[in-house]
Amino acid sequence: MSQPDLKGEINAAAVEPLLPIEKKLIGWSLGTGIVLLIVLIVLNHFVPITL
Amino acid sequence: MSDLAVSASENVSEPAALKARLNEDWLAVAIGLLVFAAALVSVSGTDVLGWAVTTSVYTDLTQALNPFAKAYAWLGGGGSLLLTYAALLVVLSAGVIALGADVRKFAIAFTAVFAIAYASWILGSYAYIAAVTPAEQQKFGLSWSLKLTNEGGFIVALLSGLVIANFFPRFAEWLKEAIRPELYIKIAIVILGATVAVTAAGRLNLASSLLLRGAAAIVEAYLIYWSVVYYISRKWFGFSREWSVPLASGISVCGVAAAIATGGAIRARPAVPILVSSLVVVFAVVEILILPFLAQTFLWQEPLVAGAWIGLAIKTDGAAVAGGGITESLILAKAAAEGIKYQPGWILATTTTVKIFIDIFIGVWAFILGYIWTNHIDKGPDKAKPSEIWQRFPKFILGFLFVFAVSLWLAVGSTPDIAKALPAAAGEANIFRVIFFILTFFSIGVLSDFRKLWQQGFGKLAAVYFVSLFGFVIWVGLLISWLFFSGFKPPLVS
Repeated sequence: MSQPDLKGEINAAAVEPLLPIEKKLIGWSLGTGIVLLIVLIVLNHFVPITL
Repeated sequence: MSDLAVSASENVSEPAALKARLNEDWLAVAIGLLVFAAALVSVSGTDVLGWAVTTSVYTDLTQALNPFAKAYAWLGGGGSLLLTYAALLVVLSAGVIALGADVRKFAIAFTAVFAIAYASWILGSYAYIAAVTPAEQQKFGLSWSLKLTNEGGFIVALLSGLVIANFFPRFAEWLKEAIRPELYIKIAIVILGATVAVTAAGRLNLASSLLLRGAAAIVEAYLIYWSVVYYISRKWFGFSREWSVPLASGISVCGVAAAIATGGAIRARPAVPILVSSLVVVFAVVEILILPFLAQTFLWQEPLVAGAWIGLAIKTDGAAVAGGGITESLILAKAAAEGIKYQPGWILATTTTVKIFIDIFIGVWAFILGYIWTNHIDKGPDKAKPSEIWQRFPKFILGFLFVFAVSLWLAVGSTPDIAKALPAAAGEANIFRVIFFILTFFSIGVLSDFRKLWQQGFGKLAAVYFVSLFGFVIWVGLLISWLFFSGFKPPLVS
């Protein structure tokens, strides 16, 4: 069965620079995530867990 | 995916390869819905899937196999296994005909694939491999066990496939018509919708109480973990986008399902997310052996923090829930030794709830990535049309969402009788989910030449996983779990 040379590809492939859209994706994800976490932590303070 | 699919993506024109993939997606939806519908019949009182084979942890092999329903006990374990094989053969052969493949070759190869894969699963349920808790060890009279849970059978199946791929290449070539991990895993994910819905419905009070905490888990997994792991993979290790997306999803979200869903969404070659998935499984097994004991040692005074942490740190559903169970038994034992007797069930419920919340958004995240890739990264000569976004969307996720929605409605919006009968129906469907997982892991092994990958490529993938998991994911997960769950303890036994 033919098998793509994945290991050679992993190590030999030219580095793809981060595109602006990727930087945006990373930045917005991380920024939004941190802001949302802070909001949730504040909410958590006012809405305590009930079992 | 079969090796044929890999070849197709490289040698055949894109429309043909895309069409083949879409056909496989829809086939997965059809078979998944067929299993779900058949399982639902049992709600009416007619059990049409109760003959499906289940495997228990055993020391006596003759006790290992049984039909799911007692009504079919007359079949015995062997009869139930044969019937399960025959049913799968008929349904999958019909599907393979729809895909235009050679059904005779498939039927012969599938017979061998099923036999070896299920034998691996049975081996994985051997008590010396699977028994986890001291109570289980005591039940089977064991002084030790590998504590892999019966899901260690997945690893055995993977290893069986690897042995065949690396030492018996001609046999692997002979099996190739039935080596279709992508089809198998997609069917399994569609079926999984019922189990996820029933679990959520069964814990609605806790689930609603944990809504806020579930949202935190979603934010953490998708927005924080994913972006950081993607950055590490791309920037520090130089992986391409095709590798980094499934890798980030596998490490951050929910292992196999997320890697395959997002890999499909960005049109990665099928072999890429599958290899990432196998890595996730290996690490999940390592985690399940380590993290519960760390939780027992350091978090026994904060049981719910421990439960949430396990749900956030272990990246496959099965391993995470199993890890939650082990953690609960270890922590309850430790607390009891200190004179504190917590009610059982709460730690595991926390783990399960956190995991479910993360799982639900796999489809949404795959859609978001698919949209970005289609419109901004993998545009091709022509700008992508909105319809192409739909074309590239992994359709099996729709099957998962449909099964989830119907199951949840039946569980919480229908009559009490139906709601009561639904968990058993979902349990029957889940048997086939497990079997398709087994077939997936065996197929992954047969497709993978890990001798070469381990020398360089796989080691590099593992390095990303190791750095991300132990340098970031575990500790941030612990911090978030602490922030949201510390101070809240399970009720005490009265």
